[in-house]
Amino acid sequence: MAERSGHYMDSFPEVSLSPAERLQFMNRFSVKRSDKCISCGMCESLCPYGVHKRVEGHTKILPPDDRKCMGPSCDVNYFFCVANCPTGSLSVGPSDNYQSMGDPRWPAEMILSTWRQAESGRPIALDDPANIGRSGGGFDKLYFRLPESQGRFDPADFDTSVRLNRRGKGEQIEIPVPFYGGGMSFGSISVHTMLARAKAAEMLGTFVSTGEGGYPDALIPFKDHIVTQIATGLFGVREATIQRSRILEFKYAQGAKPGLGGHLLHDKNTPEVARMREAVPYTSLFSPFPFHSVYSVEDHKKHLDWALAINPKALISVKVSTPNDVEMVSVGSYYAGAHIVHLDGGYGGTGAAPEIAKKNIAMPIEYAIPKVHRFLMNEGIRDEVTLVASGGLRTAMDAAKSIALGADCVVIGTADLVALGCVRCGNCESGRGCPRGIATTDPELQQMTHSDWGAQRIVNMYSSWKLQWCELLHRLGMKGISELRGRTDLLRHADKQAKEVGK
Amino acid sequence: MTFERYHIPIRIIPGRASPVPKFVITRADNCVNCGKCEKACIFGVHKRSEADFRKMSDPLSHLCKNCFRCISDCPQRALSMSIGSDYKALGRGIWTPLRISTIWGEAETGKIPVLGAGFRGMFAGPDYDGMWTDMSEIVRPTRDGIHGRESISTCADIGGKPSRLEFGGSSELKTVMPPSIELSIPMLLDTSRLTYHNNAILLGCAQASRLLDSIVLVSESSITQELLDVAGRRIVPVISEGSDIKTLKLDDRVHMVELSVGSSWKMAFKNLSKSYPDVVIALRIQASKGIEDKVLEMLDADVPVIHIDYDDDGRESGRGETRHAKDSMLSIHRALVSRGARDRITIITSGGIAAAEHVPKSIICGADLVSLDKSLMVALSCRNCVDCTGSTCPASIDCSDRDWVEGRMTNLVGAWRDQMLELLGAMGIREVRRLRGEIGRAIFFEDIERDMDAILSDGEKHG
Repeated sequence: MAERSGHYMDSFPEVSLSPAERLQFMNRFSVKRSDKCISCGMCESLCPYGVHKRVEGHTKILPPDDRKCMGPSCDVNYFFCVANCPTGSLSVGPSDNYQSMGDPRWPAEMILSTWRQAESGRPIALDDPANIGRSGGGFDKLYFRLPESQGRFDPADFDTSVRLNRRGKGEQIEIPVPFYGGGMSFGSISVHTMLARAKAAEMLGTFVSTGEGGYPDALIPFKDHIVTQIATGLFGVREATIQRSRILEFKYAQGAKPGLGGHLLHDKNTPEVARMREAVPYTSLFSPFPFHSVYSVEDHKKHLDWALAINPKALISVKVSTPNDVEMVSVGSYYAGAHIVHLDGGYGGTGAAPEIAKKNIAMPIEYAIPKVHRFLMNEGIRDEVTLVASGGLRTAMDAAKSIALGADCVVIGTADLVALGCVRCGNCESGRGCPRGIATTDPELQQMTHSDWGAQRIVNMYSSWKLQWCELLHRLGMKGISELRGRTDLLRHADKQAKEVGK
Repeated sequence: MTFERYHIPIRIIPGRASPVPKFVITRADNCVNCGKCEKACIFGVHKRSEADFRKMSDPLSHLCKNCFRCISDCPQRALSMSIGSDYKALGRGIWTPLRISTIWGEAETGKIPVLGAGFRGMFAGPDYDGMWTDMSEIVRPTRDGIHGRESISTCADIGGKPSRLEFGGSSELKTVMPPSIELSIPMLLDTSRLTYHNNAILLGCAQASRLLDSIVLVSESSITQELLDVAGRRIVPVISEGSDIKTLKLDDRVHMVELSVGSSWKMAFKNLSKSYPDVVIALRIQASKGIEDKVLEMLDADVPVIHIDYDDDGRESGRGETRHAKDSMLSIHRALVSRGARDRITIITSGGIAAAEHVPKSIICGADLVSLDKSLMVALSCRNCVDCTGSTCPASIDCSDRDWVEGRMTNLVGAWRDQMLELLGAMGIREVRRLRGEIGRAIFFEDIERDMDAILSDGEKHG
């Protein structure tokens, strides 16, 4: 085994800096200068970060560049501008911009940290506040019980690969990283964004799903890394697209809108999208729910057999959401012949969904994973299926927690978009679509995302994630990510921990 | 008569008050009027000034959608965004700014709010927020996506139901059928709890109840001949506690009446049912500790309908820790079920219904119908100010036109019904009647968190 050690980073793509000018706008703190300022230039001479700038000859000093400011905690320093200003005209505090960005599930901290990881590929600390959201439950309340750091480690010593096929038949596929890209349809996102994700998947040796809007020809060069999704609308599903893929994904339901079927509102259904979906342009497209050919597990098996008849070598993934009887559905899928059971939790991403469906239908993924994992164990079939979790996994730590709860690997969607510069404003559903040129079909706006730049950013982000997983494994004394699966003993609920400390 | 499918006519009814922006864009003095923000913003927040084309006009913040495009594109870094202080000040208690602005949107468009990106709120919360409805993937062939919603029934009945029918020798019906009303939606409009109302608002509600095929509850003292002419049998007088039943004279068109009661109600109920045998009589009580016993007592006295009032936050009245409607209703429902008498009585609940999902959730917890009160007020652009007097209203609700009121209320109820259909469709339930008390098809935070705890501590033992 000694000669094998240290080879796990061989295939991992290189990180390269890929900054974006338009993502440099956010200031966490704002420095305010009142009218009392006499433009003496004291602050410029003090601040080592270059917040203040005075141009010789100008009557006024320039407005502070507070993006570089370290905030009120600077007051321990001798060079703190607020304390040293002779006229007392400066003040510093949290910025309004920062406070109006994000939401409890994706706080501004987490968005900015994802941007930084996508830019540099540098990992953040496992207990970094940006690895935890503020939603007050689920992943945001689960912590790893970590032993103290045990010195340096070589990421090449840790195996993060996952086998996707655990059954006898079908191609043996192993991905070197414990994730693949979730389905986002052509129409909900632009072809540039799809290409960026596909290129990143190729570089990382993993997969990305097409979503239900068909398989644009631009993706054909990456066909070995594309999962063809067969959703209830059957948009753009053809024999050719089924035969092209190594993995087929049957989407029964989507976590953000379980029981409803896909939504593509009229504005985004441009002529190209409509051609792909064989629909009338600028009409709203609602997929039916469920598959009308599937009303029982027997029907389900027939359904999978139909796809296998077209592409016998393909692996079959079944994507379901998380109702009370999710474990029965999973077992049914196994007996119908699925290689991968993909659970999509209620807090997952979407291009458009009724607000009422996002919170109120089906349970969050945190509860569903251990439920299914244990049920499959008791049935004695756990090691014959790959259990995949998605729906509200935002960070490397969320992914690791899912694996510790019992998943084999995870599927990531929204984090990819955040890596491309999404600010989570939630306007992807209508009009011209995403104002930041990610989830849009508008010909002008989609030019904002370049696929090579995007692919590199996605790779950078996952590179940071991989290093975090390696550090986690190192601290837990494990060698492979598969050892982490189902280790609920390593997790702690924050409330319980607080109670014990109080004792 | 030709068959007409039930349909709520919605149309766009703009609010009359100026919008309350959630995100406020501020332009600082160092703006050089370059106009890059105008190009950047796809929502039209930034425009050049009409008066002086060299200058930018003030940002139209109510159009802002939080995308930060203008802020990142501004070469002078002159723009900044903040959460509007007026927005933050909207509502109180469970009536959060988000819920109030959502109701405004629903009342304006009558549509289901559909947005991009996944769920953005807290993981779970107290009361109704700690509840998820169930759905199923494959095995319940009872729905058809967005198509087929029209075959889900939202009808609800008010009134007593005999548990069996008796027939005589020649097959004639011998059971005396108690009076009852069937509505096309499980939602009533309740004006008797509104903080402010005038004639136009009452007439608007009455007109809306006609469009919605629902009923409108009006304080007995506010009922006018005009109101009865507009909505006739849809007007339900609410008789205040302690009124003299003997002198009461109900209009012939009245089909149902509500009697607000305190501790002694038996005589009043008896007298009223004797004088008006064809009218559905509902007793209306304030929920407080021990409400289950009161309900059972009423059941024993053959009261056909009970309207249970919670406060605006959905809580029972009383001091100290009071129960939320969710727990209180569940307990009432269980008490009735264990008596084997759940179907003998109709339960209407009101109070704390601040969002579309609260209607189906109340029904799952055991209500037959939900009565809307404060949400109707909010639909009229109410901001839920603390010092509400009506005449100083920032939304000038006192000058509402009756057709405008009708439109806003119809839109709100239409949007809420459609959202209920979404949940019913996902659950695979074809009738609201069957949703009542379906706690098996709901997931409760306490239960699921307990399971999770067990898994974590189980793992600890083995680990």
